[in-house]
Amino acid sequence: MKIEILKEIIEKKSLKEEFAVLTNLSNGNSEIFYSGKQLDKDFENYKDEIKNFYNLKKNGIIEGTQIFIFNYIRPIEVIIVGAVHIAQYLIDYLKNFNFVITIIDPRKYFTTEQRFQNVKIINDWPNNAFEKINTNTNFALITLTHDPKIDDPALNYALKNKFFYIGALGSKKTHIKRCQRLRETGFSEKEISSIYGPIGIKLGGKSTPEIALSIVAQLVSKTNDLLLNSKD
Amino acid sequence: MTKSSETILKSANSWIESGQKVTMATVIETWGSSPCQVGSKMIVNDKGDFLGSVSGGCVEANVINECLELIKNKNLFKKMHFTVQDESAWSVGLACGGEMKVFIELIN
Repeated sequence: MKIEILKEIIEKKSLKEEFAVLTNLSNGNSEIFYSGKQLDKDFENYKDEIKNFYNLKKNGIIEGTQIFIFNYIRPIEVIIVGAVHIAQYLIDYLKNFNFVITIIDPRKYFTTEQRFQNVKIINDWPNNAFEKINTNTNFALITLTHDPKIDDPALNYALKNKFFYIGALGSKKTHIKRCQRLRETGFSEKEISSIYGPIGIKLGGKSTPEIALSIVAQLVSKTNDLLLNSKD
Repeated sequence: MTKSSETILKSANSWIESGQKVTMATVIETWGSSPCQVGSKMIVNDKGDFLGSVSGGCVEANVINECLELIKNKNLFKKMHFTVQDESAWSVGLACGGEMKVFIELIN
């Protein structure tokens, strides 16, 4: 592989672009491919098969050829509302995965950079913060403040913009009240029931790292569902 | 889903910038219960330092040796095929009963 291609992969990844890398296994040539890209003669003959693998986000050797394709997908982004103690543990677990993380909290004393390193922090109300983020259906939302005036606008935004995972921290009682407020806002039962509340899988623990782990387990499971379904 | 691929690519770049020769191994095909997914990567430099993984530890040593050979012989790439571990002790193979192909290439 040419060093220029390696540098281009790193750059495209940092720009959150969607692309694939093609390798001709019989001569070692490689090339970057994306929608609308013209192919070199090495790969031109197989452009239909390459496009097919690319559209399905399928990785591997294209049948009957010596061409290997590997897809780099748009990153999955996680918005955490509430720079609270659990968020610190969440970020600690999540750093092992390929998520882009943003923390939103209007409360200044929570969002010091000392507490959250290498994470994007937006020190503002969710409605203002979402104006600065270009969201899509590869986004997940985790609300942690259980304060309606901070969590609710974020939940409204995520439901309207069809985030693939929405989870809200809070007890069963808190969640019943939350659902009632969303109903009054005009969300359907189907939309409301898509929220994971109380958030997380049943792990049986009550400590902060255990709650964070149960949230991460649920998020990763839903992310894997998303990635698997996009391949079908 | 893991973070590692980004770290590996960036490290490959910085190793090269610091004057090292770097090869990259990529899992290109698997059958059965191979532990690493297609696309898993490992980089190896001319001193034998490596980062990343292409199996659960079963074939790494062999891949590293092949990468060093590649650098020594000034070759650009090689395809490797690993099958189920045979019974003889110390042989390289996949204890999991899987089978895999690994592509190694020099980054130049």
